[in-house]
Amino acid sequence: MAKHPDEQRLELLQGTLDMLILRTLQWGSRHGHGIGQAIRAQSDDLLKVETGSLYPALHRLVKRGWLKAEWGVSEANQRAKYYELTAAGKAQLSRERDRWSQLVNAIGRIMNPASASKE
Amino acid sequence: MCPDKDDLDEEIRGHLAISIKERIERGEDPSSARLAALREFGNVTLTRDSMRGVWLPRWFDAAEALGRDIRFALRALLRAKGLAATVVVTLALGIGANAAIFSVVRNVLLRPLVNRDEDRLIYIRQSAPGIGAENTTFSVPEIDDLKSRVTTISAFGDFSTVDFAMAGLGGEPRMVKAGVVGGSFFDVMGLRPVLGRLINAQDDGPNAAGAAVLTHRFWTTSLNSDPTVIGKTIRLGPRTATVVGVLEPSVPYPAATEIIANVVTSPHHLGATMVTNRTHRMTELFGRLAPGASVEGARAELTSVHAALMREHPDSYSTRGNVQLRVRTLRDQIASPARTILLLLLAAAAVVFVIACSNVANLILARSVRREGELAVRAALGAGSGALRRTLLAESLVLCGAGAVLGVVLARPFVALVSGYAARFSVRALEVSVDASVLWVGAGLAMAAAVLLAYVPRLPSPHAPAGLGLATGGVRITPGTNRRLRVFATTQIAFSFVLLAGAGTLLATLVALQTARTGYDMRQVLTFNIPAAVTGFGDPKAIAFYQETTRRISRLPGVERVAVGSFVPWRDAGSMGPGFQFTVEGYTPADGEEDLRGRMRMVGPRFFAVLGVPVLAGRDFTEGDRRGKEPVTIVSQSVAQRLFANGDAVNRHLTWTDPVFSIYGKPIPSRIVGVVADVDDENVVPGPALTIYQPAYQSGVAGRLFVRAAGDPYALVPAVTRVVREIAADQPVERAATLEDVRAEVLSPERVNAFVFSGFAGIALLIAVVGVAGVLAFSVSARTREFGVRLAIGSAPRHLLAGVLSEGVRIAAIGIAAGAAGGYVLALVAARFFATVELPGALPVIGATAVLIGAAVVASLMPAARASRVDVLQALRSE
Repeated sequence: MAKHPDEQRLELLQGTLDMLILRTLQWGSRHGHGIGQAIRAQSDDLLKVETGSLYPALHRLVKRGWLKAEWGVSEANQRAKYYELTAAGKAQLSRERDRWSQLVNAIGRIMNPASASKE
Repeated sequence: MCPDKDDLDEEIRGHLAISIKERIERGEDPSSARLAALREFGNVTLTRDSMRGVWLPRWFDAAEALGRDIRFALRALLRAKGLAATVVVTLALGIGANAAIFSVVRNVLLRPLVNRDEDRLIYIRQSAPGIGAENTTFSVPEIDDLKSRVTTISAFGDFSTVDFAMAGLGGEPRMVKAGVVGGSFFDVMGLRPVLGRLINAQDDGPNAAGAAVLTHRFWTTSLNSDPTVIGKTIRLGPRTATVVGVLEPSVPYPAATEIIANVVTSPHHLGATMVTNRTHRMTELFGRLAPGASVEGARAELTSVHAALMREHPDSYSTRGNVQLRVRTLRDQIASPARTILLLLLAAAAVVFVIACSNVANLILARSVRREGELAVRAALGAGSGALRRTLLAESLVLCGAGAVLGVVLARPFVALVSGYAARFSVRALEVSVDASVLWVGAGLAMAAAVLLAYVPRLPSPHAPAGLGLATGGVRITPGTNRRLRVFATTQIAFSFVLLAGAGTLLATLVALQTARTGYDMRQVLTFNIPAAVTGFGDPKAIAFYQETTRRISRLPGVERVAVGSFVPWRDAGSMGPGFQFTVEGYTPADGEEDLRGRMRMVGPRFFAVLGVPVLAGRDFTEGDRRGKEPVTIVSQSVAQRLFANGDAVNRHLTWTDPVFSIYGKPIPSRIVGVVADVDDENVVPGPALTIYQPAYQSGVAGRLFVRAAGDPYALVPAVTRVVREIAADQPVERAATLEDVRAEVLSPERVNAFVFSGFAGIALLIAVVGVAGVLAFSVSARTREFGVRLAIGSAPRHLLAGVLSEGVRIAAIGIAAGAAGGYVLALVAARFFATVELPGALPVIGATAVLIGAAVVASLMPAARASRVDVLQALRSE
């Protein structure tokens, strides 16, 4: 497995971790390790979530009522906590997605005025 | 909601297990897979804590950090036990004294009375400051006039104090102090019974049955709260009364009595003198404000009515006396004598607190300089100034908290001490108990001190080169810190000086009082009260009783001489008012001049010999100066000198002209048979007193017995009591004491004053000495190197010693100067609010200065000795 040199790894943008977690759980429940792996794999190893940030974020989302947690057994036969979207979490995910695309659009227009005006 | 610690641990363990398993499946070696998983995870504890932190409220973080800081502070302080103990004890003294005095102040000055609507209850006093009469009380005609003319007062209550020989509640017959009141008194006072009923309008007038109410204190302490006492009949002198009720606990004012009875129990109250004589004043007056009336309104109306009365009856009001009326609420009246002294105590306690705080600040500052290295390391590692302050705050919180706890514990005995003391000025202090206010004050002061102390030390600046502090382990003292230390030490000296000078003034007063020559030969004279309760006033039987008593007591072994009199010096002070007007044959007063007032004293033969007062001219009274013989009198030297040419008074005549005596008909002149030396039986420090002695066997009035003993005076008490009881079985014999002890008893408030303030000053001095010693010790230890160098280049050790000593003396001198200047300004300011402020004399100031300089020298000795013994090699090598 190829390792990216440090300069190629991207820092997570402030406030995006919650959104990424919610997105990862869109198609079903996962445990913490799985969520971390999923973010990493889906970003082609560009994004790496530190466990020190991931787990507090998971608990924060549970506390807000967007996720619910349940103990389960992993495919490797290991007891692990599984996180799952709640209805409120799904609504939150779509809100975050809208907000994110607006943000990307807005930043895109600033960074690249010509291509943005064509749209 | 919040997952517990095991839950979080298990989640993390699960994560690691999955991660390891995946790595092994990818073909990694199990042990390296484990290490890699752990490495990837990072700090397990930190992650777990921040997971838990998500679930905790935000304040929890701060509290937890403070808790950690407090644990750290506890550990750090345990390493510096001496410092911690000094700080805690110092603060405890300051906090304890303040909390105790505050709770007494609160109870005495601020708490309302139990009386119903006590803010509508006023006390009215008539005084004649011009002749030294602070309270002339009122006569019945005066009260009747006020009642009929004043509209701002809805009801008046009257109270007069009488001594009754009481029998019928078990025990021997004895004299009790009783109040005699009209039917409106209890209603005006707004007091309720705890048992039975109180005296009311039915009990007024000469035809009512005798009724008595017991005070709560008497009922509980002497009668064990016996409820069957209601309905019992008691004998009060010649009359009887039925006990109708028990009064609720209340402030005993104007007098602490055992019973309060209606008018009919006192024949005197029904007599013509009492009812018709405008100058026969013995009644205290209270009033209830009418609805809508204010104290100011009532004061204005009462004053104008009183002025009108004075115009209508000019004979009854002495012009020289400058008769006045004072109207204030009862609460103010009761609290006011204690106000000055309590505020003074509060100020003294506050000064002690300031001294304690500045001393503690000193110690903390010195400590923080020593730990500058530690703080620099923490700052270098990234601790913000907030975090550093929090560490300091935690430390001072621990110290001040411990100080507060100890202070509150100390406050308990302090409160007992202070309230016992304040009770001499206001009866309310007797009801003071330790309450929660002590805790609040203690806690408040501790918090204030803690915050203050946390901001005393300077933090290492993040911009300053920290290298210095980090590199050398030694103590470096910056000029700024040094100056601060000195300022605190100087402050302590200054405040201690104020307290010491104050205490010195009080001590000087006490010594002056105690060493004042009284003119009496006090040690061997024993006095008794033998009130004329059973025998009656002015009765021929009384004269026979006094003669028989003196004759038989003089035959007792160990008795040198015996005499009767009417007035125990100092103890009976004030009981006879400002004296009576008199005139003498051959003296023509100037136009408009009033007759002089003289003290009237009834004495039997040998009185002057018993008390050691020399007869300067003429003779003493004899057994022959009896009723029916020529009226005679003896005057004091000042009367003779003031009113007769060459002081030649013997065989001239003297006449009492005071209007009080007018009901007895035209006054009869009496011949002056003797002149005796001046004594002052009202004041401990004697002033010239116009005193006129009348023979007790002519008037039949005495009531006091004076016995000169050959040996131990108190050994005679049982024999004297037995003899008196043999003559009259019911006769009370009370309050046996030598004149010396009477004086000591009278002086005890002064003694307690001096004691309390000396206590404060002592505490302050102790703290200040510790402070100065601490500053010098610290400055010496910081200058070890300098001293080493100086010794190495040939300085003599005694020069170093002298240098440190002079440094201590300089701190003290500046402090004393500041204290003297500040104290002077303070006294000037205080003099604007209190009439009685005096500047201390030269002696207390010099004394306080000497004590402080001496203390500074003592405090500097140890550090100075250390400076002169610095080991040169050690000092130079430490660089």
